[in-house]
Amino acid sequence: MTAMTISGHRYDLDARRVQEALQGELPEPITEHFIVVNGRRWPPKQVLALVTGLDRADFTTHQARRALTRLGFPAGRTASPRVRHAGGAAAAASSRSAHGQATERPQPLVEALRPFIGLWVAVRGDEVLVAAPSPKEVVAWLARHRQRAQSMFRVPDSEQAITGAAPQ
Amino acid sequence: MLTPRPVVDIALEGLADAPMECLLDTGALRTRMSAELAPLAGIELAGSLTEEFYIGGLKTAGALARVNLTVTDGTDEFFWDAPVWFCDPWPHPFGLAGLEGFMHHFLITIRAYDGYLDIEPRT
Repeated sequence: MTAMTISGHRYDLDARRVQEALQGELPEPITEHFIVVNGRRWPPKQVLALVTGLDRADFTTHQARRALTRLGFPAGRTASPRVRHAGGAAAAASSRSAHGQATERPQPLVEALRPFIGLWVAVRGDEVLVAAPSPKEVVAWLARHRQRAQSMFRVPDSEQAITGAAPQ
Repeated sequence: MLTPRPVVDIALEGLADAPMECLLDTGALRTRMSAELAPLAGIELAGSLTEEFYIGGLKTAGALARVNLTVTDGTDEFFWDAPVWFCDPWPHPFGLAGLEGFMHHFLITIRAYDGYLDIEPRT
């Protein structure tokens, strides 16, 4: 447990509590900063608001990022801060150090898809916008965040799914 | 994983923000997609013509609907009316773009050696 004070309230937080708070949630679009939890990128303010129940107006992105990196989550920022990115669920390189300040580097789509095997994804270019268990959730996320995908598909979870061949 | 295959992103009418990745299937007479997509696009399948068939060793049933499909290169859009079979269950992570509904509308060039795919609408 790590004790921290956010917006005048004291919290005892740990990584597991953060991970539990994100269950069933989908990452919102990333504008600049992100935190990596379970291989997915999340806006720091969304994460801290879910964990603490605080209103997002009660703290800044930098406060959220600092609090979450103290708990061991990698933080990063998109390559071009002035350009709006929508990489809510894009994968982060697993090799980043726990407290590393990673700057996003372009990675092949196949690598970005690896954490989302078996899930439906919406992609734009080499960027995974969102990943969810059903196309309904993906479409709802795109509509809610006014995002337009280039392509939607389910990431194959087996050789059979890729080739269409019957199991032996 | 997905990139080496000849795929094209086809948007169903009503789902313009989420074009479905479809495999160009020269051996398929039909254009088929998962039945999960139909209600998301507002496509009513009740009372539709249905057919059963096997795909990848899996028995499935497809319901026919005529829908408006769109492809875009980011600048220009091409749309056409097509018969699409919405199938349940659907084993593939993508749709299948077959002769009817897709290939009849395009001049298609595939140079797999170069990783090149081009589709040109036949207007």
